[in-house]
Amino acid sequence: MTGLGVRFLLGRLLQTVLVVLGAMALLFALTVIVPGDPAAALLGPQASPQYAKQFVAEMGLDQPIPVRFVRFFGHVLTGDLGTDVVSGRKVSAAISAVLPYTVTLTAAAIGLAVLLGVPLGCWAATRPGSWVDNILAGISVALIAIPSFVVAILLLLVFSVWLDWLPVLGTGRGDGVGEAARRLVLPAVALAVGWIGFIARLVRTAMLEVLAEPYIRTARAYGLPSLDIVFKYALRNAAIPPLAILGLGIGRLLGGAVLVEIVFGRPGLGRLVLDAINVRNYPVLQGAVLVVVLLFVAANLLVDILYSAIDPRIRRG
Amino acid sequence: MARILQTPAGALGTALVALVAIAALFAPWIAPYDPDQLAVLDRFAGLSPAHWLGTDQLGRDLLSRLLHGATVAMAVSASAIAIALVAGTLLGVAAAALGGWGERAILVLFDIVAAFPSLVLALAVVAVFGPGNGHLVGIVAITLVPQFGRVARAQVLTLQSLPFLEAERILGASPWRILRYHLLPNIAGPLIVLASMEVPSVITIEAGLSFIGLGVRPPLASWGTLIYDGYSYLSDSTLPVLVSSLALALATLGFTLFGEALRDAADPRAR
Amino acid sequence: MTPPTPARDDDKIVTMLQVRDLRLVAHTARGPAHILRGVDLDLDRGRILGLVGESGSGKSSLALALLRLLPANVMPPTGQVLLDGVDLLALPAAAMAERRGRAIAMVFQDPMAALNPLFTIGTQLTAALRRSAPASSRRDALAKSGDALARVGIADPVQRLRAYPHELSGGMRQRVMIAMALLARPDLLLADEPTTALDATIEAQVIDLLRGLRTSLAGGVLFISHHLGLVAELCDDVAVLYAGVVMERGPVAALIAAPRHPYTAALLSCEVRPGQSGPLTTIPGEVPDPLATPEGCLFAPRCPMAEDRCRRETQALRPVGAPGQAAACWKSV
Repeated sequence: MTGLGVRFLLGRLLQTVLVVLGAMALLFALTVIVPGDPAAALLGPQASPQYAKQFVAEMGLDQPIPVRFVRFFGHVLTGDLGTDVVSGRKVSAAISAVLPYTVTLTAAAIGLAVLLGVPLGCWAATRPGSWVDNILAGISVALIAIPSFVVAILLLLVFSVWLDWLPVLGTGRGDGVGEAARRLVLPAVALAVGWIGFIARLVRTAMLEVLAEPYIRTARAYGLPSLDIVFKYALRNAAIPPLAILGLGIGRLLGGAVLVEIVFGRPGLGRLVLDAINVRNYPVLQGAVLVVVLLFVAANLLVDILYSAIDPRIRRG
Repeated sequence: MARILQTPAGALGTALVALVAIAALFAPWIAPYDPDQLAVLDRFAGLSPAHWLGTDQLGRDLLSRLLHGATVAMAVSASAIAIALVAGTLLGVAAAALGGWGERAILVLFDIVAAFPSLVLALAVVAVFGPGNGHLVGIVAITLVPQFGRVARAQVLTLQSLPFLEAERILGASPWRILRYHLLPNIAGPLIVLASMEVPSVITIEAGLSFIGLGVRPPLASWGTLIYDGYSYLSDSTLPVLVSSLALALATLGFTLFGEALRDAADPRAR
Repeated sequence: MTPPTPARDDDKIVTMLQVRDLRLVAHTARGPAHILRGVDLDLDRGRILGLVGESGSGKSSLALALLRLLPANVMPPTGQVLLDGVDLLALPAAAMAERRGRAIAMVFQDPMAALNPLFTIGTQLTAALRRSAPASSRRDALAKSGDALARVGIADPVQRLRAYPHELSGGMRQRVMIAMALLARPDLLLADEPTTALDATIEAQVIDLLRGLRTSLAGGVLFISHHLGLVAELCDDVAVLYAGVVMERGPVAALIAAPRHPYTAALLSCEVRPGQSGPLTTIPGEVPDPLATPEGCLFAPRCPMAEDRCRRETQALRPVGAPGQAAACWKSV
């Protein structure tokens, strides 16, 4: 018995580390490739020539590339993501100030999608071919196809502009948890809406397949209660395909979160990145992108851990 | 093709795709106005016989802008997917052919690119190289390469075990010949299906980037740009944002339905 | 058709299972398919009844029909299935579910598919056990499950309880299924080709196991197989099923020694004997199409002794030959 499959997880961890290193290399390469004078690119047109020279020396931009790479690596490993060239703050500070908002939004969206999608999918599986099932099929395709920022804008239009039900912009920080929660609703829904239908369909398909499996027939042959069969047993079997796809979809979710934040004027990585791009604040941009990649990769690793917790056959490999 | 039209979803998807394609191809001829023509006195016009979908904040006819937006969306999709298809296929086939470390290196490369959410990678690259139409197409293509590459590689691996390739090799056929006449026709199928299924993603990324101003450059206007314009002037009129959102939504919906119907039609198991 | 015997006899139910005119029809795209066309069976307590038939004879469907666990495209079976005097087919769904895993238990054909890959053997066994002993604690249930594993000849049962199905060999998995059935302490044990998916040597072991467990089984066993030789080794009585109808039944020794139905005789001649040389015997022709409802005896097209009368009338089972033996042929050999 290998518990949670230590060998499997170590393998995945190693793969993850390799990918993260590669991503860092890619990001580093991007900043190196920046066309034109590196200092001008990093500091923008505002800096004076003396400052630029001083900056170059300080940042070691005149060093050969391999040296810079190693320095970059070292910095990242110690959590130093560089310095914001505009404000002078540490990039890591800037990012950690806004990261919680993005993470909360993404987590809320995932939570919503799962909490609504899974029961919906289970229900549709018990009534295949019914009109509810067909409507669900239709709507879910429609919703997952539409980009989340478009949904965000439409929700904005309907609920805030026309109906004036929910507050629109910002996070309501400082107004208490209730207010923050209210402002989280629309963005989270915008992100989640496509996924609710998608997950429901995935769960439905997986459930239908699982319920037709011989081992479910064994459970029925032994008279196990229907409720137990569906929720204690079949659901676990059926969770596997949706989990895999959710893992892949987190990237889209993160990308969507960035845009949805901008639509609703929420602080978060989206705003940070956009502002950074507009003023050519490369360290911030680099740091933010790196953090997003880390989030994505960490989320996928989490999904893999869940996988191996659920399916003992995976732990072998 | 007939099979695609059999399901209501497939038929709807095909209709929408056809609509977008026609708009994209014939925009300069069927658009009632020049999309860049200003008529500031006529801004935020509602639905009217003169302006079927109203006007934007500078009085430009929205219908015309939307039609040209279709052209932009299709142009970007077609080029990005074409590039990704070629590059991905070459890399995928190479990976399968090389085996060992070469293959592993290519796969790790795929993983690294795939570790970036598409939009975020696009943002990073655009930030570095500056916005530009060519850049846009290039970045989007890069984000797609891993998927095409993996599918191509998987297809080749399945085929490699088939004896007819071995026979060709023994007969002395050059690698190029094998690639062109034997491999490509056989792996083309799934790749084409994948290509059609990627169109909605490309449209979405392009629209998203244009929305934040990092997509296509003026005077070209993509639906994303139009949505942003409408969003900025929500207090003045809700019509522009509505119609441009609708256009984007219908296009992505149409291509998604079409792509899925294509995949189902091509699936031998479904027959 | 023999009318059902009185349910009770000497305060004890002897003929525990009585199946009368069991019919099963499935909806297919091309029309109704007749899977069972009027099956009669009797099974006494403490006896093992073998049900023999080729693929397509409907034997597996019969087991599922007894459990009332048929797929959605199959219509509810008609006829009577009396288990200890109660007609299972007439029970409301809840009452039937009550009996599953308690009065009736089933061992399925493919043990790998029949066990849930995501749960341990212990979890699945205790779930089955809880049906007959709902109040037992987890520790108790596991202990009893371990005992059951030991009884079916699995070494190191405590370790095995924590194992997952894919970690066991095919033979072990089937033993687990048998253990599960034992835990239910059923009146009726249905074994649907339990050894078909196993290697010959493992098959022999499992048959030995089943033979050895006879004393532990308070009820009766319905052993379904396509292999007449296997049935001959294990069972007391045998019923031969063809195209959804019982063609012959009786004590196994009598039937093997002196079959009274041409189909049974044909099946016997197909059995390969050690030292046999020359071409294998086959039965020419094919099993009748379930969509068809031919007149006359269903075996007539392939029967070497068929006459006009065979093709016009069907013959019900009638006693012939040794005591307890019956055949559905007017030309009983």
